Amino acid sequence: MALEYLEQEPWRFLISSATVIFLVLNIAAVLTLAERKVSAYIQLRYGPNRVGPRGLLQPAADVIKLFLKENVSPGRADRWVFLAAPIAMFLPAAAVWLVIPFGPGMVVADLNVGLVYFFAITSIGALGVIMAGYGSRSNFSLLGALRGAGQMISYEVPLILSLLGVAMLTGSLSMVDIVEYQAGGFWNWIIWPQLPMFLAFFISGLAEVKRIPFDLPEGESEIVGGFMIEYSGMTWALIQAAEFASMAVMSAVAATLFLGGWQPPLPFLDLGVFNWVWLGIKTTLLIFVFQWIRWTLPRLRMDQLMDLGWKVLVPVTILWLFVTAGAMLVV
Amino acid sequence: MTVAFAFLTGMTLVSALGVVLSRNVVHSALFMSGAFLGVAGFFVMLNAPALAMFQVLIYVGAVTVVILFGIMFTQRPQVRRFRTIINRQIWPGFFAAAGVGAFLCYILVGESWEGARPGNGARSVAVLGRSLLGVDEGVEIFSLLFEAASVLLLVALVAAIVISRRKDEEAGREEPGR
Repeated sequence: MALEYLEQEPWRFLISSATVIFLVLNIAAVLTLAERKVSAYIQLRYGPNRVGPRGLLQPAADVIKLFLKENVSPGRADRWVFLAAPIAMFLPAAAVWLVIPFGPGMVVADLNVGLVYFFAITSIGALGVIMAGYGSRSNFSLLGALRGAGQMISYEVPLILSLLGVAMLTGSLSMVDIVEYQAGGFWNWIIWPQLPMFLAFFISGLAEVKRIPFDLPEGESEIVGGFMIEYSGMTWALIQAAEFASMAVMSAVAATLFLGGWQPPLPFLDLGVFNWVWLGIKTTLLIFVFQWIRWTLPRLRMDQLMDLGWKVLVPVTILWLFVTAGAMLVV
Repeated sequence: MTVAFAFLTGMTLVSALGVVLSRNVVHSALFMSGAFLGVAGFFVMLNAPALAMFQVLIYVGAVTVVILFGIMFTQRPQVRRFRTIINRQIWPGFFAAAGVGAFLCYILVGESWEGARPGNGARSVAVLGRSLLGVDEGVEIFSLLFEAASVLLLVALVAAIVISRRKDEEAGREEPGR
């Protein structure tokens, strides 16, 4: 075939990463609509229903509006840091997708340390929050950034600890190997032996992407938006896209590591190349749980947040690590 | 490959210069993260993705963030004049840097690198961990160093908790409700 050179290395990587970035931007746009629709149905409303059939074209309208808006930055702002911060927030959220296998053989980079890559890239996200808070030169922003950095550093610990069980069970840090390990039906998924770890991962994932009930860095009612208070137009849109993209990436990673990734729930449902549908369904369900929690629970206080992280999640994950190790020795 | 190398080199060097020459401490810290990312890119080019990931995780994700976190609590991280950066320690600093550089060059050139092969590292966690600690090769010093570092970190952790703990009477005064 004439297009065979596209499967060679530099081109394959460039094309697939461009595809992934395109996918992430679209996910972020669709999730803005999903967020409003889910909130509306939970509160017995209709939500946006004017643009297009049942409001389906609302994301397009939002994007056009945000493009046309003026980009205002405060006069005293640190201009370069202020403008670079949304990019520093968005790029990590997009980059994690590079190691997630979408289907058999459908992965941009099959790293042997994919799990460590996920931690490493997630930890850069705190940098973007600090840049936004400092660059805006506003007290609310700085407060939000300090809260955000503290929260993200604290919850990094249970996030990493909760995935050690997966690495021990599968004996590999590669996302591809972890998905292969869970083949054969839903009873082989890692969520069953690692249920406490899954819950700990999900809770620390919530905190890591700064969603309610862990949205102290934004805290509309106390610090009116926190680190994103001074942003407008496209820069604000990029921050929002980063938040939604990181929510989607947390769900996708949870689905890959604990729920079998693209493996079908029952063996006869194997769709071959179209197995990415299963990953999509699992990710969508987890994203829905994120939104469900958002519109159900109130925000935690700062001390409750730290207590939950250090006094509940870390001991639970360490305990289950020992249980896993003991079970592996016995079995 | 050459393009990537040139890009990474430029990124690392420009960021490193930015760290030293920037008038704003926050900018210096941000430039430092750029330099660390460039070094991580070099590790990827040298077929050592595990090293690159740890570089990003520890240096960009933890060290820089903690440094920035500390700077945020200071009042004015801005230096008025450029002269203040090039302070009177410029010559000792220059000699120290040149000395370390010369020493590293001497060691790296003198060392025999025949045993070293490029490779992505083991796929299995157990093998990767053993080779990281140097247990497999008969060089067990790495595991000893690892233990020493972990004891040091534990001491630092306990010390931080002891220092930041409030005295009982102090706590009682601030929270009369309890």
